[in-house]
Amino acid sequence: MNFMYLYLPVALTSINILIPVGLGLAVGLLSGLFGVGGGFLMTPLLIMFGIPSTVAAATDSNQIVAASTSGTYAHWRLGNVDFKMGLYLLIGGFVGGLAGVRIVGTYMLIESLNSIKKNKTHEVKTEKESSVGKFLKSLPLQTHFEKSGVTHSALLPVIFGGFVGVLAAIMGVGGGFLMVPVMVYILRMPMHVVVGTSLFQILFNCIEVTFLQAYTNHNVDFILAVLLLLGSTVGAQVGAVFGRKLKGEQLKVILAVIVLAVTVKIVFDLTLTPSLLISQAGGH
Amino acid sequence: MEKTKTVILAILSLLALLGVSILGLLIYTADASADLTIKANHDHIKIDFFYHGSTVSVKGNSDPGTDLIIKITSPEGHQALKKKGKAAGFLWMNVGSLEFEHVPNLYFLHSTKKIEDLLSKDEIEKYLIGYTALEKHIEIKPVENENEKTRWFNEFVKFKESSKLYSTSHGKISTTSKNGRQDYYILLDWPFQASPGNYTVTVYAVKDGRVAEKADANVLVEQVGIVKTLFDMAKNKAALYGIISIVAALGAGFGVGLIFRKGGGAH
Repeated sequence: MNFMYLYLPVALTSINILIPVGLGLAVGLLSGLFGVGGGFLMTPLLIMFGIPSTVAAATDSNQIVAASTSGTYAHWRLGNVDFKMGLYLLIGGFVGGLAGVRIVGTYMLIESLNSIKKNKTHEVKTEKESSVGKFLKSLPLQTHFEKSGVTHSALLPVIFGGFVGVLAAIMGVGGGFLMVPVMVYILRMPMHVVVGTSLFQILFNCIEVTFLQAYTNHNVDFILAVLLLLGSTVGAQVGAVFGRKLKGEQLKVILAVIVLAVTVKIVFDLTLTPSLLISQAGGH
Repeated sequence: MEKTKTVILAILSLLALLGVSILGLLIYTADASADLTIKANHDHIKIDFFYHGSTVSVKGNSDPGTDLIIKITSPEGHQALKKKGKAAGFLWMNVGSLEFEHVPNLYFLHSTKKIEDLLSKDEIEKYLIGYTALEKHIEIKPVENENEKTRWFNEFVKFKESSKLYSTSHGKISTTSKNGRQDYYILLDWPFQASPGNYTVTVYAVKDGRVAEKADANVLVEQVGIVKTLFDMAKNKAALYGIISIVAALGAGFGVGLIFRKGGGAH
């Protein structure tokens, strides 16, 4: 018997407790800093440490519930949560989450979507800002979001929320890494409000996804989630405090570097010959 | 009357003959099994909260000078796995799935010498001994030809060996002579990746390129305690399990938030 290792009853594997706690801490820190759930990092890392892919995705959603509760609470106290915007994002996210759980397991789709999305983010950043802005103003149902100080069509957050909800269910990501650039560059919200609002929206998305994953796919590993959230809740708080000390521009640069690093890793994974050409299929 | 007596006598003689034959057969069988024995100590592995794999030792005795092969397998079944391939000529991605039929999830094979030096090809295939026999036995779909089957079977073995679920070795079984018999012993690491279930341990005694005898033992792996409770709950009370998971996460997130508010208040 070794007390450094715990057996995960749903993942059916044993893990050194320092791995999930450490991963949780690192990803929680990012969550608090940028308002991303961190699933886009956590799920692949868990798979790398031997957790079956579907269990990794489902359990990560559960963990994000804890990290984003911790982060939302910290940001709410700092006055950084736009509840109105969050609510619209949620309406879309809820529908998207339901749809996404039905297509869990199609990891190929996720991988390709993932890289396409990253490209889109870059496009938006560089060239299309002004034309996108004009188009957005022409949409119906314009409403003012007081906390963020912006006016947009209510359709926008609903559509983006829905899109991210689908991803959340498939990948076990909160979708923050997509939502944050969308809020900053398309919805033109101030960076600090973006972080708080993103966390708020992620929280509810992941509650829905966790329940559906547990209920329909039986893939949530409670023990793994507890180990991850031990690290992530603390990390989220530290991140929120640390983020307050950084300027919006600095936050954007750090986030851009991380997104870039992940993109580089994906490119390497796609082009270098993998050591194993066979992997576990989702589910059983 | 005389005729009836004769018939009864004949029946009794037949029964006696049958009895003697059965007795003889029993003695012969008992003798046969006394030649080769097997025992897996630690044959009931309990997966508890702190489980990180185990060890299983297999021991017994055989006729002196016989070579031995020890095989441990799980029941055969179906497995669906994803295969990676090059998309658009240069991108490594999952390009489909492979279906494996009649394949054990765990396969250990340890022998006193190289399998090819011990057994004829027919015997290897008959008793499913070694990867070559396994490759012939299992079905892989979809594959276009034998070469492709071999290629994916080799990848499959690599994948299983990386999870410690497949392994082979020769020369690791230790043997000692005692009282005109041969004792054998091997200690094996039991991987935590091996899922709960019933595993069969078989020892083959080999003489002149043929399996002369075989004997079986079992290893039962099962979840116990909190691991079993959570596993059962996740499967059978999924809604409750989901709600508990969410409430625990909300509670932990909020709790840590409160702690940090108190801690952070001083700054």
